[in-house]
Amino acid sequence: MLLMALKKVLQTVFVLFIVSVASFSLLKLAPGDPVEIMLGSEYSAEAHAALVRQLGLDQPLVTQYLDWLGNFVTGDWGTSYIARADIFTYAFVEALPVTLTLAAFSLGLAVVLGVPLGVLSAVKKDTAWDAGAAVFALTGTAFPSFFLGILLIWVFGVKFGLFPVMGFVPPWEDFWGGLYHMILPALTLSTYFIAMIVRLTRATLVEVLAQPYIAAARARGEPGWRVVWVHGLRNIAMPLVTIIGLQLGTLLQGAVLTETVFSLPGAGQMITSAVLGREYGVVQAGVVMTATLFVLVNLAVDLAYPFLDPRLRPR
Amino acid sequence: MDKIDHKKVLATRIAAGLGRRAVLKGMGAGLLTTAASGLAPRLASAQSGGHITIAALNHIDTLDPHFTGFLAAIQVINNIHNGLLKIVYDGKAVTFEPDLAESWELLDDVTHVFKLREGVTFHDGTPCDAEAVKFSLLRVKEGEPASPHAWKLSLLETIEIQDPLTIKLTFSKPYAFLPVALNGSTGRAGTIVSPAAVQKYGADYGRNPVGTGPFRFVSWRENDAIELEKNPDYFEEGLPRLDRATWKLMKEPSSAVAALMAGQVDGMTDCPMQLVSQVDAFPGATLYGEIEGNYTFVGMNTRKAPFDDINLRRAVAWALDRETLLKQAYFGRAIQAFTPISPPMTGFYDPEIASSGRGQWFDLDKAKEFRAKAANQGEIEAVYMMSERGPVGTRVAQTVAPMLAQIGIKAKLELIEPATWVQRRNAGDFDLFDFEWVADLDPDETLFPEFKSGGAWNFPGWSSPEFDELCTQAQVVLDVPKRAELYHKAEDILMDEAPIAMMAHMPVYKVLSTKVQGFQYIPADLLNLHTVSIG
Repeated sequence: MLLMALKKVLQTVFVLFIVSVASFSLLKLAPGDPVEIMLGSEYSAEAHAALVRQLGLDQPLVTQYLDWLGNFVTGDWGTSYIARADIFTYAFVEALPVTLTLAAFSLGLAVVLGVPLGVLSAVKKDTAWDAGAAVFALTGTAFPSFFLGILLIWVFGVKFGLFPVMGFVPPWEDFWGGLYHMILPALTLSTYFIAMIVRLTRATLVEVLAQPYIAAARARGEPGWRVVWVHGLRNIAMPLVTIIGLQLGTLLQGAVLTETVFSLPGAGQMITSAVLGREYGVVQAGVVMTATLFVLVNLAVDLAYPFLDPRLRPR
Repeated sequence: MDKIDHKKVLATRIAAGLGRRAVLKGMGAGLLTTAASGLAPRLASAQSGGHITIAALNHIDTLDPHFTGFLAAIQVINNIHNGLLKIVYDGKAVTFEPDLAESWELLDDVTHVFKLREGVTFHDGTPCDAEAVKFSLLRVKEGEPASPHAWKLSLLETIEIQDPLTIKLTFSKPYAFLPVALNGSTGRAGTIVSPAAVQKYGADYGRNPVGTGPFRFVSWRENDAIELEKNPDYFEEGLPRLDRATWKLMKEPSSAVAALMAGQVDGMTDCPMQLVSQVDAFPGATLYGEIEGNYTFVGMNTRKAPFDDINLRRAVAWALDRETLLKQAYFGRAIQAFTPISPPMTGFYDPEIASSGRGQWFDLDKAKEFRAKAANQGEIEAVYMMSERGPVGTRVAQTVAPMLAQIGIKAKLELIEPATWVQRRNAGDFDLFDFEWVADLDPDETLFPEFKSGGAWNFPGWSSPEFDELCTQAQVVLDVPKRAELYHKAEDILMDEAPIAMMAHMPVYKVLSTKVQGFQYIPADLLNLHTVSIG
C-alpha cells in the first residue's frame, strides 16, 4: 500500500515536469512579446531592449527554463513582469484558495442536488419525474456556463436583488458571507455536474435495483427508503468518486469562465490574463499548481477505492 | 468666471510683447478668485465621508506614473499623485493650470519658473519640494530603467533649484507641448513621485505608489481590487470628500453593468459602446462622455506591396463609407473624423471641418478614379489583421471588408489574439489593420510621434520629410493660429498620401450612479475623485 503510494508520487513528479516543459515551450512558441505589452504603445526601441535584458528574455530558452525551474523548486517563484506582484503570493496565497473554494462549493452543490435527483428519477423510473429530471440533466449539460452565469446574474442579482453578482468573501473569515457570495457562481459552475451526477446516479441505481440482493432485502421486509438509500446507494460511491476525479479538469476549465463572469480573483482568471499578457512565470506557476491539484485528486481517488470497495483491498 | 489658458497666455504674451509680470499678476488674481468664489460655497454644502466602489474594466499595468502605458492606470494614478500642472475643463475648452505649482512664470520663451505650494507632503510624510520635483523630472528624462515618457522631456536642458520651493526649468527650444508634458495625467512626465518611496521600493514602486494626491494607496489584489483611502493632509482645502475608494477589477463589462444596476458598484471606468444604450436607459446612473482627443483609422502598410502604391491607398481612403462605419461599428455614438486633430484641441480643431474641403471622406467615384490609376489593376488580396481589442473589437474590420471589395481589394480577415496582434503591428507584419490613438490634447502628440519618419509608433511605416519638417517647426511656435496652420499643412500631406484612412473621433464614457455627486468630467479619459461625494 505504501509502496503503491510512493510509486504514484514519483509518477506525479514526472508528470509535473512534463507538464511544465510543455507549457513553457507552448507559451514561448506562441507569438507575442511580454515587453511590447508592458510598454503599451508609447515606447522607444532602447526601452524595449533594456527591458528585454532586464527580464532575462535575451537568454537562450533552455537557460530561461532551467533558471525558472531552479528557482521554482527552491520556493522562489519570482515576480510578475508587468504588475511586479510576488508570484507565490499571487498564485498560491491569493488565487488558488478562491478557485478551491469555488470548486468545493460547486462539487458540494452538485452532490447535494445531483444524488437525490438521480435517486428520484431511478425510483420513479419512466414517470413524469424521471422525464423531468432527464430534461433538466440534458439542458444542464448542454447549457454554456458563461451564458448561464449572466442569466443567473440578471435574474437573481439584478431583477430580484437576492444575491451579490460579484466579489469573493473568504468563507474561512465569514462562512455565511462566503456562502452567500458563492451561491450564483457555484450554481453556474455545478449545473453541468449536477446533470452528470443525476444521470450517473440514475443509471447505476436502476441497474442495482434490479439485483437479486435488493429483491432479497425487500423480501426481508426492509423499508423502501432503507433499501434505496442504504443498500442501493452504497454502489454509487465508486462511480461518483471516479467521476469527480476525472471531471476535476472540466471543473477547473469552467472556473475560468465563471471567475470572469463573477469577477472572482481566482486561478482561472490568473492563468488567462497571464497567457494573454505573456506572463511566463505566472502561467508556469498556475499550470504547475493546477496540474498538481489534478494529479493529487486522482491519487486520492485511487487511494480511496479500497476504502469504498472491500473487494479492492489488498489481502 | 475667467479660466486661465496658459497656452493662450504664452501666445499672447509673446505675440504682443507684453510685460510678463503684468500678465502673471493677472493670472494670479484670477486663480484666487476661482478659489474664493467657486470652490468655497460648494465645499460648505458638501457631505463628507463615504466609500465609492467603481468597476474598473480596462487593464491596469502599474501605478507608477512614469512607466505606465495604459490610460486605465492613469485614472487611478491621478487620484494618488499630482502633476506640476493639471487639466481643467469648463465644458467647452480644455486648459492647463498649476497643480502642485502655486504659480507658473515664463521668464522668456524657454525658461519656466514654478513656485511650489508650501507645506505639501507626500503620503509617506516627506516634503514635496523643489528637490522632489527635480528628482521626478530626472527620473523621467534620464532614469534607469528608461521611462517610456522620456521623449516628452528631451528638450529640457537644465533644472535649477532657486530655493526649496522654486524651480527653474530651461528648455533648449520653445516647447509648445509643455503644458501636456508637465501635467500629471495624460502627460505623465510631470507627475511628481516621492523620492523616498522610489528609493525604498525601486522597481516595485508601481505596487507601492506614494504621491501627494487626495487618496493614499492601500492595497492591490490581483484580478480583485485596488483600494485607496482619503489623504487627510491633502493640500486642497476640504478635499477629498470620500473616505475610501475601491477600484473593483472586472473583466466582463456585462457583469459590471449588472453590478451597477444591482447597486453593488457605484460606477464604471468605461462603458463599451454596445452597452451604452442599456446604461443610458437605466435611471439609477449617469453617463458621462463626450468626443475626446482621439481618432480611429484603417492603417495600410506602406513598406510593401500592395499598399506601397499611393493611388491604391488613396482609393481606400475615399472608399470607406464613414456613415455606415459610424452606425455599424461605433453604434452611432462617434463622429466622423476628417483629419487626426480632434475636437478637444481648442484652437487647432476646425469645427467647420466637414465643409472645409480638408481631409478624407467617402466618395466612391473618387475612390474608383484612384483605383484605376493604381499599378495593380487585377484583384488585390490583402491581409487585414484584426483582434478582439480596442473599443469596438473586430467590428471595424467586418464593416470595412465589403467596402474594400467594391474597389477590387479582397481583404483576408485574420483574427488573432491581442498579444500577437501587437507584435505583428509593431513588426509591420500586415497589409491592413485598424487602430486608434487616444487621450491626446495637443496636435503634436496626436500627429508627430505617430507619423514621424522611422518613429516607433509609425506602424504604417510612412515617411515624408516635408511632414516631419512642418511638425518640427510647429513644436517651437507658441502662437496658436500660426501653429495650427503648420499642423493643418502637415495633416493635409498625411491625408493626401493616405497611409491611413480616417474613420472616427470617439466619445469615451464613464458611468456613475446617481448617488454620486460632484464629479467633474474632463475629456482626457480621467476619473478624478477629488471632488466626488456619495450620498
